[in-house]
Amino acid sequence: MRNASDTEERVGGGVDAPRAGGGFTLPGWSRPAGLAVAVALVLLFPELVPNAYVLSAGVIVASYACTATAWSFMGGFTGYVSLGHAAFFGLGAYGTGILIRDLSLQPFLAWLLSGLIVLVITIPIGIAALRVRGASFVIVSISFVLILLLVFQAWEDFTGGANGLNVPRPFADLYRPDHHRIFFYLFVALLAVMLLTWWVVDRSRFGAGLKAIREDEDKAEALGVPTRDYKLAAYLISATFTAWAGGMYALWFGDLDPIFQFSILLGAYMVLMALLGGVRHLLGPLVGAVVVGTALEYFKLEYGDTQLHLVFTAVLLGVVVLFMPDGVIPAAGALLRRLGPQQSSIREITAEELLERNRAAAAVGGDADGRGGSGVDGSRDGEEDGR
Amino acid sequence: MSEQTKPATGLETVRLTKSFGGVRAVDEATIAFRDGQINALIGPNGSGKTTFFNCVTGMIKPESGSVLFRGKEITGHPPHRIARGGIGRSFQLCRIFPRMTLLENLLVAVRPTGLRQLLAPSREAGAIERARGLLVRVGLDHLENAEAGAISYGQQKLLELAGVLMSDPDTIMLDEPAGGVNPSLIGRIGSLVRELNAEGKTFLIVEHNMEMVMSLSDHVVVFDRGRPIAEGAPSVVQEDPRVLEAYLGV
Repeated sequence: MRNASDTEERVGGGVDAPRAGGGFTLPGWSRPAGLAVAVALVLLFPELVPNAYVLSAGVIVASYACTATAWSFMGGFTGYVSLGHAAFFGLGAYGTGILIRDLSLQPFLAWLLSGLIVLVITIPIGIAALRVRGASFVIVSISFVLILLLVFQAWEDFTGGANGLNVPRPFADLYRPDHHRIFFYLFVALLAVMLLTWWVVDRSRFGAGLKAIREDEDKAEALGVPTRDYKLAAYLISATFTAWAGGMYALWFGDLDPIFQFSILLGAYMVLMALLGGVRHLLGPLVGAVVVGTALEYFKLEYGDTQLHLVFTAVLLGVVVLFMPDGVIPAAGALLRRLGPQQSSIREITAEELLERNRAAAAVGGDADGRGGSGVDGSRDGEEDGR
Repeated sequence: MSEQTKPATGLETVRLTKSFGGVRAVDEATIAFRDGQINALIGPNGSGKTTFFNCVTGMIKPESGSVLFRGKEITGHPPHRIARGGIGRSFQLCRIFPRMTLLENLLVAVRPTGLRQLLAPSREAGAIERARGLLVRVGLDHLENAEAGAISYGQQKLLELAGVLMSDPDTIMLDEPAGGVNPSLIGRIGSLVRELNAEGKTFLIVEHNMEMVMSLSDHVVVFDRGRPIAEGAPSVVQEDPRVLEAYLGV
């Protein structure tokens, strides 16, 4: 994350050598090594946990990581903030359940198909919703999830209504901990597919167009980017992945209720997690999901009897927005850079130099003090330019 | 100007009309711009020049009339299609992608065709080489990895021009290229325009800086109340009583 003094430095002295932010200045091996450790920890997680409850919390966090990453395909790349992504989660979940119930499909076939059905449904919805931008898009996305909530509550014959929908378990003969363990890995596998897709899109021309839309949609269009098609494609990818996360949840949890599947809160969590982690980074939404998901589970465990857990969630959001507007990952990156040797923002000056300067300032008069200070700045900027 | 004595008509509008509320911003404007020339569009503030620009480039849809490019109707096409058809444009208040580097700004203008190219890496060697060439041309190559939001306004104007060039248009529409930049940069932008024109690019420039207009353009169209009131060589237009009236209100 850039801070105010960064910007000033760039604009003021660094016309010749301002460098883009991003990119850690760690040794080359530390990144793959860190990644390998993280992957190993994730894969070993089910073996390391003390009990089935923590394991099930891990499954929830993994499902959050999937939804936040899926959301980020739209919200992150194009900057179109959808608060109604729970709609796709719910559709994917109910689709899976209903396909198993009515067509007796193999559970994972139903799951796959359900995502594809959501993909098709999203085409007209996307075309309609993407006619508006900014706050209007947020409102449209919310209204979509609210409509679905009403439909799924009222259409009792088909959806089970307020009584909920029971989804048969795909592995009926497994004990609970084993069931959790399998679904933890299934969610992680789904997440891996998403991250791979994210990586491909991020470096592609398609991705460059999406990021251009995030910065200035009209400008992108004027440069020849077919913004409508690009946005729709991102929306479809995002919706389909969200639906698959929802379908996986249905198979794992086994019980669906419109109130929970089509909830604004779930959509808001996706936004919170993605923003907290940082949408400009591949692992941002994932990191955000781990932080927020773990915090949510912890708050629920500690303060679950009251609404206090929601207050803590709100405080967490407030802290992030105030101090890390670009998310945790860029903030951590900036911190690492600051701790590094070459780009210290502290102006080092010895006691003698300071004494000398103060004497000179006293000799010339109060006015010279300011000039002396800016002189130090100037020489520092000069050094930077030379690099 | 190209060597042809009578260059073909490039961009053309026929009775183009657009109103906002009750006000006709562009009022049945019929204008033809020739290929290979530097054309200027001048007129008092509020005379509809920018609206005319936006209608031509598809940013807003005209109510009636048509826009033709080399004889083909492009009225109401989405902006990206018009851009891909060979008409590039800059914006009145310079628009760039502030959180991308200069290089990335230019790479946005690369046009993929087909799914494979769409998913091909954006930082492809050929595209980068071309982008670097354009940055050298506008004198920003030493800043290729800087964030576009961190460079000066004048430099952003040059970057915007480089971005338009990256999309490889035949006709370049510039909305106030001299607005808000210092005199030496105005000179630089002027000579760039001349160079590019010599290479065959057609220009259509909206500009208030009369010195620039008169020294640069081959053909001047004077706009007032949404329609052209005079056109011709700069020296001719300057003397036209209708132009003096529109500008000075005498």
